Order: sequence, then C-alpha cells, then structure tokens
Amino acid sequence: MTAAALVGIFGVAGALLRFGIDSWFAHHSSIRSVRTDGSMRLHWPWATLLVNVVGCFIIGMAHGLTAGLGLGAEWQAGLATGLAGGLTTFSSWTTATIRLLSEARFGSAALNVAVNLGLGFAAAAAGIALAG
Amino acid sequence: MPPGSAWLAVAAGGLIGSELRYGLGLAFPDAPGSIPWATLAINISGSFVLAALTTLWIARPHTAFWLRAALGPGLLGSFTTFSAVVFASDQLARAGEHPVWAAYLGLSLVLGLAAAGAGWRSGRLISRNRDGRP
Repeated sequence: MTAAALVGIFGVAGALLRFGIDSWFAHHSSIRSVRTDGSMRLHWPWATLLVNVVGCFIIGMAHGLTAGLGLGAEWQAGLATGLAGGLTTFSSWTTATIRLLSEARFGSAALNVAVNLGLGFAAAAAGIALAG
Repeated sequence: MPPGSAWLAVAAGGLIGSELRYGLGLAFPDAPGSIPWATLAINISGSFVLAALTTLWIARPHTAFWLRAALGPGLLGSFTTFSAVVFASDQLARAGEHPVWAAYLGLSLVLGLAAAGAGWRSGRLISRNRDGRP
C-alpha cells in the first residue's frame, strides 16, 4: 500500500518534470527558429534524450541509495518504478524515431536510437557505481 | 509555459500511467534471469497508441491541449518506461545472461519501433477516412 502511494507520488513528479523539460525545449527551439530568418529549424528529440538519460541514472542509484540510507523496499519502488519510470518514456522515443523516418531523416533516426541507448546504459552504470 | 490545466492533466495522466505500470508489474512479476515481459508489452502497446494519437492530432490540431497533455506526456509517457529496459538489461548482463538481455533489448527495439510505425500509419488512415466523409 505504501509502495503504491510512493509510486504514485514519485510517478506524478517524474511526469511533471518531463513535461516541464519538454515545454522548455519546445519554447526555446521556437524562439531560435524565429531568430534564424523565420526558417524552420529541424526538430530533434533533445528533451526525451535528457529525461531518459537522467532517469537511467536515477534507477541505477535507486537500489544502492535506498539500501545505504536504510530505507525499505517501498522507497526503492517509489524511486525506480515511480520517479525513474515516470520521468523516462519509451513511447515518445519510438514515436519520435518513426517521425524522423517518415521525414526521410534516416541518420537522425539512427542517432536517436543509438544515443539514447548509449548514454542511457552509461548513466545507469554510473548511478550503480556511485550508489555502491 | 503551458497553462495550469495542462499541468493538472499531465499529473492525472501520470498518476494513472504509473500505477497501471506498477500494477501490471505486480500481476506479472519478472522471473529472475528471463525477459521482463510485462515491461515489454507495456512499451509496445504504449508506442502504438502514442504514435496513432500523434498522427491523429497532426490531422486535427484543434484537439484541446489539456486532453493531448493528459494522454500523451501524462498517461502514455508515464505508462511506458525507458529506464526499466536499460536497468533490467544491465542487470541481466551483469548476471551473465547475455542471450536474454540481447533478446530483450532487440525485441524492445524492433517491436517498439514496429508498433510505433503501425500506430503512425493507423492514425493517418483513420484521419484520412474521417476527413474524406462529408
């Protein structure tokens, strides 16, 4: 019961943080596109990359951190399933890749897949190593 | 920055999405040393629905922003997860389960992208058929 509540609270926090980062990137790219003579800047899913990498770091740290602080398994569920799970997103990643493919931007699509995975695994390993 | 109604919608969608994912994980727990099937199914189905909604909304840009926020970044963004895929693969690799993590990552990637591609096309077809009618 406590675990479900913590997953809910942390899940909402992760979703709101992701939405905030998404909105920030959307806002700033639109400002830049106005500055460059009104020419459309090509979109690239930076916000999804950022939340996915940060979330992988958090899930990597969650296990060691809760054990080190003497917190119960419900806190690990809150941080890993709630915060990291709510912050990261798989569906936006795949949908953005399909969108790039539909625009025939094959290099960008391949890069989007590779960079999320590469940095995601590195961030998770860093989190695991840091939390010990 | 988006209006307050959008943040509230994301919070509500995020709560439902997170609890659904958590509940499915409890109902179908991962067997040690095997593919996390619940997460795989969540990510494949979520990719299909989000991609379909994305093309539907491109065709109908007047859909209320709070509704798009609730379903897209809220519900589906929180329901699907990237970190759990990476972490589970990492743990399987550390346990020496190399065929398992490779299969899990490969299935997530291939089926997730295929589902998003199928959703993308379905959304386009639906909006075309709708708009074709008077």
